[in-house]
Amino acid sequence: MFSWKESGRIIFLLFVSSLIVVPLLATILGGFKSNGELRVSPFGLPQEWDLQFYGEILGDAQFWRYLWNSFLISIMTVVLTLVLGSMCAYAFAQVRFFGSRFLFNYLLLGLMFPFAAAIMPLFLTVRDLGILDTPWGVVLPQVGFGLAFSIMFFRTFFAQMPEELFDAARVDGCGYIQFFWRFTLPLSTPILATIATFVFVQSWNNYLLPLIMLNDREGYTWTLGAMDYRGEYAAEWNRTLAFVSATLAPAVVFFLAAQKYIVAGLTGGAVKG
Amino acid sequence: MAEVQITGVNKTFGTVEVIPNLSLTVPNRSFSVLVGPSGCGKSTLLRMIAGLEEVSAGSITIGGEDVTHAEPSDRGIAMVFQSYALYPHMTVRQNIGFGLKLAKTPKAEIDARVDEAAEILQLGPLLDRKPKQLSGGQRQRVAIGRSIVRKPKVFLFDEPLSNLDAALRTQMRVELAELHSKLDATMIYVTHDQVEAMTMADQIVIMKAGIIQQVGRPMDLYNAPDNPFVAGFIGSPKMNLIEGPIAAEKGAKVLGVRPEHIDVSPDAGAWKGRLRHVEHLGSDTVAYVEAEQAGSLTVRVPGEVNMNAGDDIFMTPRAGSIHLFADDGSVTRA
Repeated sequence: MFSWKESGRIIFLLFVSSLIVVPLLATILGGFKSNGELRVSPFGLPQEWDLQFYGEILGDAQFWRYLWNSFLISIMTVVLTLVLGSMCAYAFAQVRFFGSRFLFNYLLLGLMFPFAAAIMPLFLTVRDLGILDTPWGVVLPQVGFGLAFSIMFFRTFFAQMPEELFDAARVDGCGYIQFFWRFTLPLSTPILATIATFVFVQSWNNYLLPLIMLNDREGYTWTLGAMDYRGEYAAEWNRTLAFVSATLAPAVVFFLAAQKYIVAGLTGGAVKG
Repeated sequence: MAEVQITGVNKTFGTVEVIPNLSLTVPNRSFSVLVGPSGCGKSTLLRMIAGLEEVSAGSITIGGEDVTHAEPSDRGIAMVFQSYALYPHMTVRQNIGFGLKLAKTPKAEIDARVDEAAEILQLGPLLDRKPKQLSGGQRQRVAIGRSIVRKPKVFLFDEPLSNLDAALRTQMRVELAELHSKLDATMIYVTHDQVEAMTMADQIVIMKAGIIQQVGRPMDLYNAPDNPFVAGFIGSPKMNLIEGPIAAEKGAKVLGVRPEHIDVSPDAGAWKGRLRHVEHLGSDTVAYVEAEQAGSLTVRVPGEVNMNAGDDIFMTPRAGSIHLFADDGSVTRA
């Protein structure tokens, strides 16, 4: 039998888990229900497992286009954020130069800048650059806003690398740039995976920026595509839920692939290794 | 020729002057050990020779070539670090051959030189392993292998044995000394352990606060230290340094006598004292004595001498083994 303390802990964990699992299950199951049943029983199992909505969505070329657009934008954002963020953080972590502390703190100010507050100037800049209605119109602002956070994490990780490793590499003939490619990046898989996942999920779920920057339906991401099932007076919630459920898969696959590295990234350097 | 010549070198970090003005010659093919307490500047000096630290003033030449501002890889040096600094994502073979690969050495030659180093250091069976799969001693061998393949003019060692346990340290000490004879190269070795310095060096350089206190062969430093600091640093247990009336009687500020140069008798002697603590080491016995005139003294006697804490004994410093350090820095032996 469980003690009171253990029982309390289990109940607490079940409660916290249910906060994540119940909405997820309700979303997936909702795609099998009729709109009427959804109203009556939003969380229960479907009376009939109707595959019609999932079938229709997965068979719709437009769905795959939305998905591809989201995927392309997310991958471009991840690659650019990792490349720029890691190189910038490497300079802050390894190279001593005048004003580095000020510059780093200035970059961190980006963390405190609310995304929504910048929407108007962002729109104008993107328009002036001529990249409105292209993936770059979403990718570049996402990268810009993701850099502060990624530089902070990268820098902390890089700064923990033993200095003697760099010294040994210098004696062997490595310069700063070679050391970055040959040592820093290969030894940073955990932090690369962690930041890639955060950035990917953030981009995958981004709604506001695509809404502002993308006007052509062909370029829509899935978050905009989900609105296809909402009319002025009514919403097809079952189709919307089936649609959302079908779009969860890539993000989940990405997360699962990176999971073991993410844990290492979050705890790396906590103890002497 | 790979003589290392350091002339008027100064090093400051911000406002802190770590090395005020240092000149030193490390002879070709010598095994020179820089030794001193923590913070004395020995590692900084080694890093300046390696090119890992800029010199603030002065010059460094290796084999007659001025390398003061040359990149580490262009100095003809190789360095072994305290923490081994092996590349964790590379195999032993890749670790050892990495410098050659960067230097665009042909692959066949890299393989041959890696195999040769592996044979010298008995690393053959470990060549395909990663550093995390090796023991401390094996890792240090790989680090040495990495330095050997580059065929440097000068080997630099920065406390390479301090992460090893006592038994392995002794073994590696012997291996390094053998390696020095085999390679016949100039080696500069930094340590804070005077035993390592005494057992391995051709030349010992004793440093304190960035200033060289004395340079010489191990037994010369042991027999004829220039000042009380060197006298106290070289030798284990350390030399007894006595101030006050006993030193003044001999016209000195400090009188030094080594624990093994004090004769002990139960009946008569120059100084009377009571045994505080006795350590029986088997071959020797080390006794800590509270002497009436001389204060706390350490005495080393053969292991068969029977001594117990609380006993009263008499001690007499052996003639010819007394070091008298005067106020003006001069030293005489009596």
